[in-house]
Amino acid sequence: MYFDPNLANISARKIEGEKIMAKIRVLIAKPGLDGHDRGALVISQALRDRGMEVIYTGLRQSPVQIAQAAIQEDVDVVGVSSLSGAHNTLFPKIIEELKKRGAEDIPVIGGGVIPAEDIPFLIDSGIKKVFTSGASTDALANYIEQLIDSNQTSITPKKIAHIGIAVKQIDSVLSFYTDNLGLELEGIEDIPDEHVKAAFLKIGDSRLELLEPLDSASPIQQFLDKKGEGIHHIALEVDDIHGRVAQLKQEGVPLINDQPKQGAHNSQIAFIHPKAAGRVLFELCEKDEAGDV
Amino acid sequence: MEDKHAQNKSSEANWKQATEKALERFPERKPSFKTSSNIDVDRLYYPDPTENYNQKLGFPGQYPYTRGIQPTMYRSRFWTMRQYAGFGSAAETNNRFRYLLEQGQTGLSVAFDLPTQIGYDSDDPMAEGEVGKVGVAIDSLADMEKLLDGIPLDQVSTSMTINAPASVLLCMYIAVGEKQGVPLEKLTGTIQNDILKEYIARGTYIFPPKPSMRLITDIFAFCQTHIPKFNTISISGYHIREAGSTAVQEAAFTIANGMAYVDHALEAGLDIDSFAPRLAFFFNAHNNFFEEIAKFRAARRIWARIMKEHYGAKNPKSWKMRFHTQTGGSTLTAQQPDNNIVRVTIQALAAVMGGTQSLHTNSRDEALSLPTEDSARIALRTQQILAHESGVSDTVDPLGGSYYVEALTDDIERDVNRYLEQIADLGGAVQAVEAGFMQREIHQAAYDTQKDIEKAETTIVGLNAYTIDEDVNPDLMKVDPALEQAQINAIQTIRNERDQAAVDEALANLKAQAHLEDGHLMPFILKAVKAYATVGEICNVLRSEFGEYIG
Repeated sequence: MYFDPNLANISARKIEGEKIMAKIRVLIAKPGLDGHDRGALVISQALRDRGMEVIYTGLRQSPVQIAQAAIQEDVDVVGVSSLSGAHNTLFPKIIEELKKRGAEDIPVIGGGVIPAEDIPFLIDSGIKKVFTSGASTDALANYIEQLIDSNQTSITPKKIAHIGIAVKQIDSVLSFYTDNLGLELEGIEDIPDEHVKAAFLKIGDSRLELLEPLDSASPIQQFLDKKGEGIHHIALEVDDIHGRVAQLKQEGVPLINDQPKQGAHNSQIAFIHPKAAGRVLFELCEKDEAGDV
Repeated sequence: MEDKHAQNKSSEANWKQATEKALERFPERKPSFKTSSNIDVDRLYYPDPTENYNQKLGFPGQYPYTRGIQPTMYRSRFWTMRQYAGFGSAAETNNRFRYLLEQGQTGLSVAFDLPTQIGYDSDDPMAEGEVGKVGVAIDSLADMEKLLDGIPLDQVSTSMTINAPASVLLCMYIAVGEKQGVPLEKLTGTIQNDILKEYIARGTYIFPPKPSMRLITDIFAFCQTHIPKFNTISISGYHIREAGSTAVQEAAFTIANGMAYVDHALEAGLDIDSFAPRLAFFFNAHNNFFEEIAKFRAARRIWARIMKEHYGAKNPKSWKMRFHTQTGGSTLTAQQPDNNIVRVTIQALAAVMGGTQSLHTNSRDEALSLPTEDSARIALRTQQILAHESGVSDTVDPLGGSYYVEALTDDIERDVNRYLEQIADLGGAVQAVEAGFMQREIHQAAYDTQKDIEKAETTIVGLNAYTIDEDVNPDLMKVDPALEQAQINAIQTIRNERDQAAVDEALANLKAQAHLEDGHLMPFILKAVKAYATVGEICNVLRSEFGEYIG
C-alpha cells in the first residue's frame, strides 16, 4: 500500500558510482520467551522495503540459535527485540555466542521495551545501539545502512579540523599564540556572513582559530557577553557533510544548521546544537577538494 | 406527518447548501475522515426515516443485546475493577494483591511470568532471564498457596491470564480452594484458556492446535460439573489488537475463534447450553472513542445472533456476550508518559459506554516497564472517578440512539460479518490460523499504522508532534535479579521434600490418559498438582504425547 514494489527493486540495488553493491542482509531475532513480535515484524518489512534482505527467526530463539543463524545466513547485522525485560540477560549472551564462533564482527543492535538506565550496560556488553519505543523505522534503516557502509568508507570524523576560541580582540592575544607558544600564523580573514574575523594558527594537521566579533550581531559577541572569552567550539572534519547532516537530523540530533553552509576557505560547515553534546558546540566541516587549504 | 417529513427534507437541503458555501471559504482539515478500521466518517449523522431502532437494538438485557446484557447495567452494580498484576515471587505478588484489594479493587487478575505461561519451570534453561519478569513465577502448588495466602477464594473472583497450561494453573487454584475449605461451586473467576489467539498474536503456545483444542474442551467439560461458576475461557481480541489489528479485525477474529471453540465442544458431544453460558470475552479499548463503543455494541449483537440463529442455543445466557476490557497498551507512549493517563481515561470511558463487565486500566509507565505502585493506583483511581464522579453509569447505554454511534455499530457489524464469511470459506478459525490468514491481515494493518505515524499522517501527541526534550525516565519498577536464583532454589527444595513416588505415579497416569485420543485430562492433572508436580513436569508429559507447535 505504501510501497511500490518497483521502487523497492531499484533501491534494493544500492548504486555507488559504477559499482552495484550487494543487498544488506539482516537477521531479526526474538530471543527468550517473549511473544511480542509486532515490532520485529514491522521492522522486518520496513527494512525489506528499503531493499535489505531480512531473515526473521520467529519466536523463542536461544542466544546460541541466534548466533548460529547469523553465521549460517551470513548476515551483515543482527537486530534483536525483547519486550519481556530479559534483555540484560539475553542480549549480552548473543554477543558472547557470536564471539565464541569468531563472528564478533557482526554488529548487534537491540530494541523493545528497554529502560534508559539499562542502555549503558547493554552498550558496554557490545550491543552497538539500542532503539527504544517511538524510534522510527527510517532512522533504523539509515543507521543500518551507515553501519554497513562504514565497513567500506570511514564515517567517523577524520580529525579535529580546528578549535575555535572566542576573543575580544585578536591583536591583543595573538602574540601569546605566535611568540610564547610558537605556533605559525597562517592568515587572518574576515568572514562577513558569520560576522567574524578569524586568525588561523597551524598545529600539526589541525588549527586553532581565534574568533573576534566584527559587529554586535556576531554570535561571537553574544558568546562573549554570556560567557566571556574562552573555547567556543570544536570543529570536526568529515566526508559527505550533506549525508552526515541528513543522518543526524534523521536520528533526532538537534542541529543549528539543517543544511550545510559556506564556511571559511570555501569549506562547507554545519553546527550541532550544544544541547546534543553536554554544552559543547561542535562544527562539522568538509574541505573543498579543489580548494587550496 | 407528510408535512413534517417535507420540512425535514428542506432543512437537510438548506444545510447541504450552506455547507457547500462554507467549504469554499473554510475547507475541512482532511479530504476524508476515517476510523482506524478505515470506515468512512460522514460530516453529520441524522435519522434515517426508514430505520426502526428499537427492533434492531433491543432493550438492555434483551436479545440481541446491542444496548447491554443486563436490564439495569451499572445502575445496580459498577463493572468489576480488575487490575492485572503480578511480578517476581508469589509472596511479592500476594502483597500487591492485598494492596489492590485494600484500595477498593473488586477482583484479582494474575499475570504469570513467561516460563509459567509456556510450561517451563524456573530452573529450565529456556527460562533464563525471564523468571518473574512479566508476571509472577509459579512452579508448583506451593507457589500458588503463597500467591493466594490470606485471600478468601469464596469472596474474590480471580482472573488468570494463562493459556497453554491453563488446565494446570486452574487445578492449582482448585487445590488451594479445597485447602481453604471453600466449596468448589463457590469458586469464581476466569482462565484465559484461548489458544487460537496465541498462535495469531500473543505467542505463548506450547502444543499444536489439535491437542490444544482437546485440552480446552476437556476444561469446559470438567468445569460445568465441578466449578460451574468459573468462566472456562476468555476469548481474547485484546492481543490481536495489540499486535496491530484494526477494531473490526479485533472483533471479527475474536468471534471467529469463539465459533471454533464452540464447534469443537459440540463435536466432542457437549450440549451448547451446558458450556456456552461460561464463555467470556476480552477486548481492547483504543483511542478512537466512538469506534470503540460501536465495536463493543456490534460484537454483542453479532455474537447473540450467531449463538441463537446459527447454533440454536436456547438458554438466553448462551446468547449474551460478557466481556472484560483492557485499555490499549500499544497506544501508550514512552515519551511524556503522564499523557498516558489521559489516553487511558478516554479508552476506559469507551469501555464503560460500550457496556463492559470488567475493566483493567493501564498504568502510565507501561511503555517503559512494569507499573510502579503509584502508577497502578492512578490507573485504578481513573476507573473510580469514572464510576463515581462522571455520571456516565447512571443510565444504561447512554450513547444508544446517537445517529453516529448507531451508524458505526451497523458499519462494524457489516465489516465483521464480511471477515466471518471469509474465515468460514477457509474452513473456520483453526484452518485460517494454520494458513496464516489472520496473522497476515494483522501484520499489514500494523505496518500501515507505523507508516502513517512516521509520515505524520497520524498524529501521536508527544511522539511525532508536540515533542519536548525530556529525560526518559524516572522511577521504574525493577524486578530483583536475585529472584531467579531464589525461585530455582525453592523449586529444588520442593522436589526434595515431596513424595516423589506419588508424583511419578500421577505423571505416568496422566501420560497414559493423554495417549488415549479422548481421555479426560483434568482429573489427572489435578492429582499431579496436588502431589506437587511442577508446571514444567506436567507440561513435559503432555509435550511428549502432543508434540510442540513451532511458530
